[in-house]
Amino acid sequence: MSQSKKTKFVIAAEKIIEAPLYLATMMLFFLMTMTFFDVVLRSVANNPIEAATELTRLSMAIMVFSALPLVSWKSQHIIVDLIDPLFSAKLARIRDIIIDFACGILLVWPAQRVWVLAERSRDFGDVTEYLGLPQYLIGWFIAAFSFLTAATFIFKSIIRIIAPELIPQKEAEA
Amino acid sequence: MIMSIIGLVAVLILVFLRMPIAIAMGIVGFVGFAELRNFRAAISMVGRLIIDTAQDYGLSVIPLFILMGLFVNKGGLSRELYQVSYAFLGHLRGGLAMATIVACAGFSAICGSSLATAATMSKVAMPQMRKYGYKDSLSTASIAAGGTLGILIPPSVILVIYGLLTETSIGKLFIAGIVPGILGVALYLLAVTWTVWRDPESGPSGERFDWAQRMKAIKSVWMVLALFVFVIGGLYGVLDFWPIHLTFSPTEAAGMGAAGAFLIALSRGSLTFKSTLEVLQEAVRTTATLFTVLIGAWVFSNFINLAGLPEVLKTFVSEAGVSPMMVMIMIIGIYIILGCVFESLSMLLLTVPIFFPLVTSLGFDPVWFGIIVVVVTEISLITPPVGLNVFVLKGVVGNVTTATIFRGVTPFWIVDILRLLILLLVPALVLYLPNTMH
Repeated sequence: MSQSKKTKFVIAAEKIIEAPLYLATMMLFFLMTMTFFDVVLRSVANNPIEAATELTRLSMAIMVFSALPLVSWKSQHIIVDLIDPLFSAKLARIRDIIIDFACGILLVWPAQRVWVLAERSRDFGDVTEYLGLPQYLIGWFIAAFSFLTAATFIFKSIIRIIAPELIPQKEAEA
Repeated sequence: MIMSIIGLVAVLILVFLRMPIAIAMGIVGFVGFAELRNFRAAISMVGRLIIDTAQDYGLSVIPLFILMGLFVNKGGLSRELYQVSYAFLGHLRGGLAMATIVACAGFSAICGSSLATAATMSKVAMPQMRKYGYKDSLSTASIAAGGTLGILIPPSVILVIYGLLTETSIGKLFIAGIVPGILGVALYLLAVTWTVWRDPESGPSGERFDWAQRMKAIKSVWMVLALFVFVIGGLYGVLDFWPIHLTFSPTEAAGMGAAGAFLIALSRGSLTFKSTLEVLQEAVRTTATLFTVLIGAWVFSNFINLAGLPEVLKTFVSEAGVSPMMVMIMIIGIYIILGCVFESLSMLLLTVPIFFPLVTSLGFDPVWFGIIVVVVTEISLITPPVGLNVFVLKGVVGNVTTATIFRGVTPFWIVDILRLLILLLVPALVLYLPNTMH
């Protein structure tokens, strides 16, 4: 693959990784607004939003998991960089390739397990308390995004090999 | 016991290889659990944990409080806070450094991160102190030290994580952080006074403001101060009177804070659609990061408990006949040493599962221990060789050596140790407020 093709490919992939983040931000805005109205309605009119707790839990799950692929792609996980100076640039690259690949592979098992648990709750027909939403949908969502996160790690490890300059630099914390 | 030690070493090796700490703790916890029980039990435990944690109500505190801090900051709060503190303290010798400390404390009241507090305040306070000829050692040190208050004065990300990990009330932890936070401010002011008494050149006085000017300065921040009082007051339960009964759970307090901050920022015209989106994205990303870390820590902690490390420690302590206070001092010693090399959150995640059962079995209060851990973490943020706040500051300020900052930080570090001793000897300073919560 030529350099420009590689760049285009990575940018396209980045879009897929980044898109769910908009869903996550919507969820957060929704969570904020809902909590606000829940408290106001309860305090002033003694009439809280009944499903508030459930909606909070639901929006947390969606928010967190839809953000995970991007967090992984942009290396925003919490890491310890204490002995980084001991690695030469070449050694650091090999280390990162292996670690990213390992992370990707390791995440497949829990993702699979979540899928199994979701299927089980589908068999049982579990629904949520207030809204009666099928539980397995949440399970599917979590599993799907865990798989996508695993795929992101493996993709990143491959990009580290073929086009290391396209790996996003870690953004400053503050 | 042996299993736990192997596990700990394995986690250390993996994180040193830059594996995300969440995945390192998760995988080691998983393998250890599978070794002690079996593969099926381990994978079931992990799967359940992921599904349950993803829908954990308590976790929703995190994005909402982060959101509150980010919204308020968009409105340029840091500059205004500094202006107010400066109007009141600037005319004193070392007054700008004092103003920095107070402004940092004010900023901590809406921001839960020490690094963010230090980074933000340095942009505002550093140019002013340079303008008045402050020595770099004092100006950088006051920001680095003042910034540490971010994780103690509520809201605090570290306290939320501690609360979730140990199932301690987050509301109580927040309220418990108030008095030690104020004590911290007072002692830091003392450190500034001491520094300028030793070396008057290091911090000359600035201009004096009259009361009209001071009131004008306060006007610019009153809304944010009111928001803080409202959020923490609702959490503490003092706003619960007729006809409106305002008592908040931590999540509700955070939600009200975020919505309030959003409205304040909107009313000031400091939010655009784009900047709102950016703020939301940042909050979401931080939440996702913290969430994975919590799952990893839980898996690891399940393994550590199954392997019986806390039990072994308890037996060891009771057989050795050491007094509980001695054990606490040893634990604090371990934290200070670890803090010299570890980033605060990683340190907390690795140690709390091991020490917490021991500490509570010795009769210490979980809320009190949480505050002590945070205070020790604060100390580690300004302790050489890797005091993170010092490096954040060096990154933002640029042309100043870490040696200079560490030299300036010494008096602040000493009063921090003093504060730790006070809190150790007088637990009531921590526990009085949370114990009187409604």
